[in-house]
This record gives sequence, C-alpha cells and structure tokens, in this order.
Amino acid sequence: MTEIPPLLEMRDIAKRFGGVRALRGVHFELGHGEVHALVGENGAGKSTLINILSGVFSDYEGEIAIEGAEISFRSPADAKGAGVATIHQELDLVPEMTVAENLFLGRELRTRLGFADRRRMRVESGALLERAGISIDPSRKLRSLRVGEQQLVEIAKALALDARILVMDEPTSALAEAEVEQLFTVVRELRAQGVGVVYVSHRLDELPEVADRATVVRDGEVVGTVTVSDASQGDLIAMMVGQPLGDLFPKGEIELGEEVLRVDRLTVVPRRPKPGRAEPRDVSFGVRAGEIVGLAGLMGAGRTELLETLFGDASSGERSGSVMLGGEPLEPRSPRAAIDAGVGFVPEDRKALGLVLSQSVTSNVTIAALEQFARAGLMSSGRERSAVRRLIRELGIKTSTGAAAVRTLSGGNQQKVVFAKQLLVKPRLLLLDEPTRGVDVGAKAEIYRLLSRLAGEGMAIMLASSELPELLGVCDRILVLRGGAITTGLSAATATQEDILTAATATRKEAT
Amino acid sequence: MSRPGPPHALSQPLDGFSDRVLRPHGRAEWIDLCFRFQSIFGLLVVMVAAVATSPTRRGEIIFLTTENLTNVVRSVSEIGIISVGMTFVILIAGIDLSVGAVVGLSATGIAVLLTESGWGLLPAVGLMLAIGLTFGALQGLISTRLAIQSFIVTLAGLQVARGLARIWSDGQGVPIAYGGGPGTAPDAFSVLNDRVLGLPVPALIFVAVGAVAIFILHKTTFARHIYAIGGNEKAARLSGVPVTRVKVVVFAIAGLLAALAGIIHAGQLNQGSPNDGLGYELDAIAAVVIGGTSLMGGRGTVVGTLAGALLLGILNNILALNNVDPNVQLLIKGLVIIAAAALLSLRRQEV
Repeated sequence: MTEIPPLLEMRDIAKRFGGVRALRGVHFELGHGEVHALVGENGAGKSTLINILSGVFSDYEGEIAIEGAEISFRSPADAKGAGVATIHQELDLVPEMTVAENLFLGRELRTRLGFADRRRMRVESGALLERAGISIDPSRKLRSLRVGEQQLVEIAKALALDARILVMDEPTSALAEAEVEQLFTVVRELRAQGVGVVYVSHRLDELPEVADRATVVRDGEVVGTVTVSDASQGDLIAMMVGQPLGDLFPKGEIELGEEVLRVDRLTVVPRRPKPGRAEPRDVSFGVRAGEIVGLAGLMGAGRTELLETLFGDASSGERSGSVMLGGEPLEPRSPRAAIDAGVGFVPEDRKALGLVLSQSVTSNVTIAALEQFARAGLMSSGRERSAVRRLIRELGIKTSTGAAAVRTLSGGNQQKVVFAKQLLVKPRLLLLDEPTRGVDVGAKAEIYRLLSRLAGEGMAIMLASSELPELLGVCDRILVLRGGAITTGLSAATATQEDILTAATATRKEAT
Repeated sequence: MSRPGPPHALSQPLDGFSDRVLRPHGRAEWIDLCFRFQSIFGLLVVMVAAVATSPTRRGEIIFLTTENLTNVVRSVSEIGIISVGMTFVILIAGIDLSVGAVVGLSATGIAVLLTESGWGLLPAVGLMLAIGLTFGALQGLISTRLAIQSFIVTLAGLQVARGLARIWSDGQGVPIAYGGGPGTAPDAFSVLNDRVLGLPVPALIFVAVGAVAIFILHKTTFARHIYAIGGNEKAARLSGVPVTRVKVVVFAIAGLLAALAGIIHAGQLNQGSPNDGLGYELDAIAAVVIGGTSLMGGRGTVVGTLAGALLLGILNNILALNNVDPNVQLLIKGLVIIAAAALLSLRRQEV
C-alpha cells in the first residue's frame, strides 16, 4: 500500500532576483484539512514563496506537487485552474460591481440565448456566501461592504472555483476584532471541509486560534516547522529572529545634543477618515540631536501617518497639540514647507514615492535641492554633476554614470539615491519609513553606517521599521505604536524583540 | 561600418558596475541610434522619400528649391508653435484640447481689435497674448485645484474659447485690410506675410519659439520640475516640487503659444475667424507623439516635437506636390502616426 501523498508539497524551492537570493532549499507541506501558518520577518521570503505557489513567479527552481502529481504554474490563472486560490492583501475585486458579479467575474453564467443569467448567478451567489459565512445581499455593490466582508467575498469567490488550497496573505491586518473572529470561524469551517489553508501572518498571537502547524522562514530558508499547540510564541520569535546580526549595526557612542524635535499631545482628526489609516492620537515624544528614535508597530499602527504628519503630507483635518522643531513651531502645509523648515523624509515605497524612476540618478539626487545649483532658475550643470559625482562616490552608489536612469539600478542602490537626495538637503530632522525594505544585506549595512554617521553629525533621526533587529541595532530608543498612539517607549539597549512584539501585538482587547 | 560584435562583446566584466543595463545582445549600434533619435531619423526618411518622389521642373527637384523648403517651414509654423506648448503639457502627463479654439479666439480677437476697434499693433498683440496666457493658466488652476483631469477641463475650455470668439465677432470672419484710413490694420501687421533674410516671418517666430523652449527644457530648474512631475507626481511633491504652480505655468505657456499661433494665423490669411484653428490640437498632439514624447508624461523633448511637426509638414508638402487626393493624404498621415507610435512602443519594450 502506498502512502497517501499530502495535498501540497513544495520541494527544494529556490528563487533569485538578479543577484539576490530570495529563497533557498525551501520545503513546505500542507495536508488535507490543515491550516499551515507561514511566519517570518519582512523580507524573509514568505511573499516570494506564496507568489511561486500562486503562479505569479514562474521561474523558480524546485518542484511543486499537488496530491502527488507534479505541477508547474506559468501564470496565476494556471494556479487557479489547479485549485490554488490566493487572497492577497489587496483584494482582487472590482469595487464598482455587485457581489454576485464579482463572484462570477470572467465565468459568468449564461442563459440559453447567451445573455448573462443574473437570476441564477444571484441564487448561486447566495449559496457561496453562506458557505463563506456571511449573509449579505449579493446584489449590493462591493464598494459598500466593509473590508472584512470584502475579504469573505473573496473567500466565497475561491470556493466558487472549487479551490482545494487557499493561500491567505496577512488576512487579518486590516480587520476589526469582530471581523477577525468571523474570519477564523470560516477558516475552521473550510478546514473541516478538507480545504488546505496556507496562512501567512505577522500576528503570532492569533496562530493558536487557527493554525495547526507553523513553518518559520528566515533569510530565504526554512528554519523549522512546528506544531502550533506545542510551541510558545517565544519559541516562534526565537526562530524568526535567529542569530543576532552582530556588527551589522555599527552605531558607536554618540553624544546626544539638544532636543531638536518636541511633539506634545499631537492628535490628528481627519476630515474624511480613510480605512486602514491610523492618524496620530495623543502622541508626545522628543528627539535629540544625534539620537535615532525607532517607531515600531504592526502594519496599520500609524507609523507612516505620524511621519507624514511631521512632513506636511498628512490627511487634511483637525490637528491639535504642538510640534516644535529647534524651538520653532512646525506646522508644514506641504512637503516643500517641511523641507524648508529642515525636515527630510525617506518614504516607505521608494518606487512609488521616493524616486522618479524614468529620470537620471542626477535629476533624482538634486530634485529637492535644485536651488543650490541654480541662479535665477538657470541650472549650472557642471556644479550639479560634480556634486552628484561626489555623492555617488561617497555612498558607493553602483551606477555607470549619473546620467543613467534610476530604473536601471538595483533596489539597494536606488535607496542610496534616495539618501543622497537627503544628504544634499541636510535636514535637521530626518524621517525614515522602512528605509531598508527590499534591500540586500550588504546595502543594509551601508545604510546603517550612513545613519550612524548622520547621527554623529548631529542630525535627529526617526526610523520606522517592521524589522525588529534593525530597530534594536540602530536606534537609541524605540516607541511602540498601536492605533496611532504610543503604547510604550523602550530603551534599545535593554529591550528585546520579545518586548517590542509583546507591546505591538498584545491582544487587541487590551489595546482598546 | 563596423559589424555588430559577437553576443558577448559588450558584456565584459564591469567590476562595480553590475547594475548597469547592457545593450541587448547582438543588436547593432545603428539600430540603437535610430531608436534613440527616432524623430530625427523619421524626418530623414521622409525627406529622402520626398526628394525621391518630388516632381521636377527643368531638371530641378521642386521639393529642394529654397522657395519650397521655406514654405514648408512657414506652413508648419502655426502647428509647430502650438506643438511646443503641447509638449510641455504632455510632459506633465496632461493634455490640452483647447489650443485650436484658442487659435480661433486669438485670430478673431486680433482681427477685430486691429480693424473695427482701431487698436495699435502692440496693445492688440499684447492683449491677445495675455488672454491666451490667462486662459491657459485658468485651465491649469481648475484642473489642479478641483482635481479634474486636464482632458476634461480643456475639452470644456475648447467650447468656451470658441464661444467667446463667436460672441466677439458675431460669428463672422473679420477681414483685415491695410492701406490706412478707418477700419484698416496698421501696416506693420503685414510683416507676417514678409520674409526676413529670405525666411518667412512666421517661420522665424517658430524657430525662435523652438529655440527658447529647447533652452528652457535643458537649462532651468523649471524643466526639472516638469520632468519630475511627469515621471512621478507623488515623488515630485514629496521632494518639494511645487506641483500646482508648475502645472499652472505649463498650461499658461500652452495658452500663450496658442494665442501667438492665432495672431500669426490671422496675419497670414489677412482675416480672423472664430472657426480658425479647427482640429489644430489634434495635429499638435500628433506632432508631439511622432516626436517621441510619451503621453504618460516625463519623457520627451522639444527637439523631437520640432522634428515631428516638420515631418508632418514635409509629408503634406510632398503629397500636395504630387497632387495626391486630399482624402488619401489623410489616410497616409494616419499611417505615419501609427508607425511612429509603434516604433516608440517597440523602443519601450526594449528598455
């Protein structure tokens, strides 16, 4: 008698992006009726793995087998056809269409005459929605549903495709408490029906509620697979974190200077609240010259919103409390005003917000400081070129010339271009949002050295990051945010990753 | 000519430059050049074709006569000037559909002011340019402040400008007569029908406008702002670029140049009519696109646009010289636009 093969087996999976190895020798197994969590820090390789499983990346090494049969996906459609449905963080639904239309998008039921059979689709939608655990009218526009409901619609859509394997990427990151419970009920229900669920999450505290096993990935490799009921949260964190990164963080002793930034009871009440945004709520803290203050918190905790508020790029709305920069009130109405006041900002998404990819390295580096190279609006390209050449050398930006389009550089070098832009402006306060995301370890180390140097020159720095070792290694102090408010301030010298995670992930009931 | 090297000739190790994008294997350099200077290359091709197919008169190639060539430049001067303004607008990922109507408004206005209203030349020209500038700036302001796409704002602006022109002249074309006496235009205005140094005055203005625009787009901080906004508006704003101000100025430039083209139009035809400039916005867009400027913004040059405008002008000229049926002319122009766009799209896929 042969052994029954598992529902899904991924063997020896490897994937490279250019020179960067994202995954190496990964084994992952999913049984029938199992919820298997995939955990790891940002950049550990979770997304790459699920993108391979869902057919987004078709050029990888290794084998994937479903119920023992080897399979290779060339496209997301292939994967869906094989019964692998993926629910991404950004839902693949059309907001302007009804729930029923969304459920049958691309495979509409037809009458014998070839017209869309709305009645039958509505009826069948009702049944699918029921299986997914929601009772809503299928003729409602998707736009009118809450995020949690939309997510359940996406699950219903997966059920409509007879998905045997459901991949869920951070499904609870945007949900409220009650919606999370509902989602868990549905996931347990699916498990009972024999569906296998790959469950990607940052929230270790919720794993015991849904997951059977958990596989931990770190730096593109599987650290281990554990039975969730046997492992404590602490065990998982220890596996995620691994060995301390040692001298990756070169911060020497820096004499802290005067307080550069003082934020006192800052609260923003947006005129039109946007879902998923956590505006600053009663935030008070200070940053001294030469100090690096970390901002920790889960996705949606309000780190980015706080930085944007300081940079004059926040949602419009009522603002109370005070912000002082070097003794002067700081209330920038636009990024330009913030830059003029001495604030620099490295945004989270360098491709969407940090760079003009089609333009040259030179144009990108100098765009915020053109007045340094211009008289009466006329550029002196000679001075500009030599300044950029100096920065390219200083930061070790790997590019053939300053005239090369930024698009052609690697992630780490693109990020160095963003930093070069800040070096020209020389702000008193530098705000960094996930400055090392998608950057390889070597470039990371260089960025840390640069931050340490800037702090040494007396710059006040705020660093928002999801990478705990980075926060602990680079910062002097760490502020933990939740729901826009600061819950804890920790000294980086004595705090542990567990402390930060506990403060950031403590059960939501406590938080409210 | 050097032969293309073996596939790996270009990929010798470049220590420290591993991020450099190498030219696709095995592609000859001259193809690269054709891609890069697509519009100039296209212009050359069309010129060669023009010389080859041009009728001759007493052994002389008519297309190449000084008179014909200068006429080509004169005939493209109006569209060319508008295209320069359109280039700025398209570089910030906008579009200006109102420029043809502004030509009509400005041609009508200058004709009325110079004849019926008896204004002097300078005040009349000044007023019309100011109207064009303001009209464009208002469109830019509405588009940015109310967050309405420029396509829609300028579609509305097109109607408004035509309406204003009709109201101004009671819907009539206004002839411009010279010779002194009441109701005639100052003689100086007829300079638009003259030649200076052998070149038609409208052509000279066109060349001057092009030169100034090239200078602006190469040398000024304003140009950096334009390219940054067109390439990534959010990143530009976070870098401190005054996005609203730059956009308003760009639309003002487009309006100003359209008004200038309208004045030239009236001068060349000795009349101004509210229907002047009909469809000019589309010809201008065609010139910009043939010139290699991306409708998505952030990429493109005035040099390309000038070449695009000249290319269309030469095409018109050679088709007319050969007495090609005007309807067939339209067809051929359409095919040329498609060919240019296809080249551009190919180039983008290569990168």
